[in-house]
Amino acid sequence: MLINSVGIILREVLEASLIMSVLLALSHLNQISRSWCIGATIMGLIGATLYAVNLATISSLYDGLGQEIVNICLYVLIFIFVLIIVKTLSQKPKAKLFVFSMVVCVAAAIVREGSEVIIYLNGFSSIPELFTPVLIGGAIGAGIGLSVGVFFYYLIINLSAVNAYCFSLAILILVAGGLMSQMTQLLLQADLVPSQSVIWDTSWLVSEHSLVGQILFALMGYEATPTMLQVVLYVVSIVITTGFAYGSFKTYKKAG
Amino acid sequence: MLLFAVISLPVLSTPVFEIEIRNHLFFPSELTVPVKSLPALSTPVFEIEIRNHLFFPSELTVPVNTKVKLLIINRDSSAEEFESYELNREKIIPANSKGVVFIGPLKPGVYPFFGEFFPKTAQGKIHVNEQ
Repeated sequence: MLINSVGIILREVLEASLIMSVLLALSHLNQISRSWCIGATIMGLIGATLYAVNLATISSLYDGLGQEIVNICLYVLIFIFVLIIVKTLSQKPKAKLFVFSMVVCVAAAIVREGSEVIIYLNGFSSIPELFTPVLIGGAIGAGIGLSVGVFFYYLIINLSAVNAYCFSLAILILVAGGLMSQMTQLLLQADLVPSQSVIWDTSWLVSEHSLVGQILFALMGYEATPTMLQVVLYVVSIVITTGFAYGSFKTYKKAG
Repeated sequence: MLLFAVISLPVLSTPVFEIEIRNHLFFPSELTVPVKSLPALSTPVFEIEIRNHLFFPSELTVPVNTKVKLLIINRDSSAEEFESYELNREKIIPANSKGVVFIGPLKPGVYPFFGEFFPKTAQGKIHVNEQ
């Protein structure tokens, strides 16, 4: 049970901590105070708690598809604000919008991932003999996830400015693709779009069960057996984000 | 082009009604059409219950190349997450409640699923056999 809880909490924490570390590093590069992150985290935790407490009610909405609809909205929200972040990254006059977008992204990511952590831990609070190992495992998982975030943060801020921007933008592009890929899965799961057949299977190469598969999933939404719609939306979101990133990078270089 | 192909994939057969005009009269002059063709009604539903962190049934067979609705009923007092890498599905089923998950259309094969919160006991398989 302990090992399992390490894995579950790690996966949830890793996704949020990756976004957070990149955005904190971008703040550092842009010489913006990183204090926005505290408010965003608090708002995210409050939102996650509210979501977790009301999950049963939310799930039963819309013929049992409420959970998917809320999560789809969260993914779309994060995606839109990742785009705004990428777009406003090197525009000094738009610093306020840049900070606001980072707050929304981090808060929404914490609502999404944090609610699952709360639901998971809460489920064990009624099983005393399992609660302690789960809490210990959870703490280890959260520790690893946050450490990876800290590692990424220091990795980015120690690169040269140009490389740091490129690296951060590359991660945001992959995150954006991953968001749309997960959103598509939820659309299919809830039958909100016509059902699709799987178009290829790369589980022989990288299984989603494996550690590499899990890391690739957190980083870029890796999917061994995607559907056509998923691949199309993934590519479209990558192309759009890359376009924005390219424009931003050119502005940055011009400004010197 | 790609998008078009995606959208036009599911072909739901639309009922056809013929009306003839002969001698300036309609034949038939009255006809009955269904209220609404509900594609959801034709989707087979399979129930899976979660009790004591186990799935009942733990193995089920679903039709090949067909969209299927899974109704997952959690009778436990703790939440469970229905998850399957092979089916690309993941959904939390809160304590003492139900959840709906659509899967497929699937090729023949075996698709394992598990409860992410209690993976040691909550294990199951979906079988898809050739017609």
